[in-house]
Amino acid sequence: MPGPRYTSLLLLAPAIALFALLTLYPLGRGLLLSFFVTDYGLEGALFVGSENYRELLGDRFFRRATWNTVVFTLLATVSEVGLGLMLALMMNRSFPGRRFVIPALVAPFVLSTMVVTAIWSAWFHYDFGFLNNLLRAAALPPVEWLSDPDLAMLSLVLVDLWQTAPFAFLILLAGLQAVPPEVYEAARIDGASPRQILLTITLPLLTPHILLAALLRCIDSFKIFDKVYALTGGGPGNATETLSMYVYRLGFRFFDVGLASAAAVIMVVIAGLLAAIYVLKIIGGQSHVG
Amino acid sequence: MKRLATAMLAGAVLFSTASTQAETLVIAGRDGSYGEALKLAVEMYEAKNPGLETERLELPGGGLLEKVTIAMREKAGAYDVIMLDDPWAVEFMANGWLADLDKLGGGVDEDFVKPARDVSRYPVGSGPFYAVPFVGNVELFAYRKDLFEKHGLERPQSWTDVLEAARTINKAEDGVSGAVFRGKKANPIVTGFLPILWAHGARVVGTDGKAHLDSDAALEALELFLALRDYAPKGIETYNSTEVRDALMQGTTAMTIELWPSWAPSLDDPAKSKVPGKIEIMAAPGQVQGPAPMLGSWLLAVPAGAKNPERARDFIDFLTSPEMQKTLALEVGIPPTRASVYKDAEVIDRYRWYPAQVEALQNAQPRPRITQWSRVEAILGDYLQLALIGEMTPEDALEEANGKIARALTR
Repeated sequence: MPGPRYTSLLLLAPAIALFALLTLYPLGRGLLLSFFVTDYGLEGALFVGSENYRELLGDRFFRRATWNTVVFTLLATVSEVGLGLMLALMMNRSFPGRRFVIPALVAPFVLSTMVVTAIWSAWFHYDFGFLNNLLRAAALPPVEWLSDPDLAMLSLVLVDLWQTAPFAFLILLAGLQAVPPEVYEAARIDGASPRQILLTITLPLLTPHILLAALLRCIDSFKIFDKVYALTGGGPGNATETLSMYVYRLGFRFFDVGLASAAAVIMVVIAGLLAAIYVLKIIGGQSHVG
Repeated sequence: MKRLATAMLAGAVLFSTASTQAETLVIAGRDGSYGEALKLAVEMYEAKNPGLETERLELPGGGLLEKVTIAMREKAGAYDVIMLDDPWAVEFMANGWLADLDKLGGGVDEDFVKPARDVSRYPVGSGPFYAVPFVGNVELFAYRKDLFEKHGLERPQSWTDVLEAARTINKAEDGVSGAVFRGKKANPIVTGFLPILWAHGARVVGTDGKAHLDSDAALEALELFLALRDYAPKGIETYNSTEVRDALMQGTTAMTIELWPSWAPSLDDPAKSKVPGKIEIMAAPGQVQGPAPMLGSWLLAVPAGAKNPERARDFIDFLTSPEMQKTLALEVGIPPTRASVYKDAEVIDRYRWYPAQVEALQNAQPRPRITQWSRVEAILGDYLQLALIGEMTPEDALEEANGKIARALTR
């Protein structure tokens, strides 16, 4: 009869085996391939040491893709959590029609990304798009939403904000509804103003939820691919090319597996660092509260 | 006894299912008008071959390349017939991914236009046939005859004439751009630029297999291409074939520096065009060299690992027969690859530009026959767009592109 320690190991074994097979093996294989020049499906691989990494770091397109990815991640995460928070605060009270407004707010989140990009692609059209028609109606000049290199990234953030701010909103609304009403009642009895209640009670109590929403959005935004692929293809120039697009092109257009693996390894390292900051913050916050 | 009877019955059912299982043909092809053509052809072929089940994938150019390349590299045997753009075919033929059509039987007769026939063989022009030309595309040039006459402009003989005409018309005509082209990165911007580059006597990859973009001729060509941007519509950086065709058919541009025949079979149809009969089509102008129309032939091939190669070969013969080429030209506007179809009175009557088109096709130049063309094209497309949006000077763009292409050619 095995002891409790062996029983728990036995019960964990299938999960560990799956993790090793589906996560650790591809990661290890990717790391190994990043030191070779090898062409997918063709025979032979040439060991080149750190040459692939040197080539990537010297490539303006890779550096720009890294920068674009970080910029997109920061802008999308901050704006989505910010908008989600505002919406959650507005919806955390009763008003007529609330049960219709909340599903309407969440609707973009349930749409497929390809549908979302098709909608926005039509809205962004310079000559016939809804957005430029609005601007023209307001006697303002039309805007090159996707073809202006300075604006294209912001346009992508706008699409992402429209589609995924509802996700942050749902997490934060759930967090707000978990705060006991007695806390607010006590604060009001003590004469706290709405602003004081927001800053000293609501936001501190909501911090773990805000961090969770930010972590999830940050990880998801860092992997951005579909919206870029469908709306700009990484252009104009390389103004919106992200790391996922860059890796995809190397791997699935040029089948340069070694270089694509090296780029993917760098991507994993950056994503890991970003996630580590959040995780440490959350764990640190929890131990502080404890 | 009862058990034995049940087992025999089950066996009989299984046997009959297996014996009546339909023969299948899996085709990977393009979307748009090519997809319409394949659909029509498949329906007609199925009608002639009852019991045959056909699966047809309809994909955009980039998606098709990705899917079929992965299938070939994985030796998946997923497709019986694949459609290939001629510059992709070199990699497929060189790597032994395609079946030798001579061995499958049938050959490729001499009625097919020579440049398209040549790129269907490997080594080019001399080796066995690995493909059959299906779409006789050649890159052409189109301009508005009425606007040229109105402003006293002659039919452009050189790219300098094109630039001058674009400037004149752009200045004089409200709501009409001087010229339009595909500015989208990767393949679109490269195919728009190549005829200008070639006409200037420059090359991306020379006959020695090395990168040759660091030349004065290439720089002059790029400067002229970028000068055209000033007379192009806003947002030209995102233009692809749909936008170019729309601009031409809506009468909002005086010229398109790139027109593929399959884009615009309805140029003279008043229901679809606002300027029927006013668009003149010709081979792209020359500059220091004569016109250098680009071959853009789409080919049909049978993968080496196809599960139903004999049927695939038969279907390709059906699809590229003179009768079918005529039907597809008349019904869908697919440019034929057979010289005899271009002489057909009914076809010429429908498409007045076909004599000019077949002349351009007979003299068409293929893109470099190198296995790395997809990557070279992507690199050039990236740098051309950086120059187009003003993020790099033409000199820097060409120099950096040349270095990167040189490295890609060694990988």
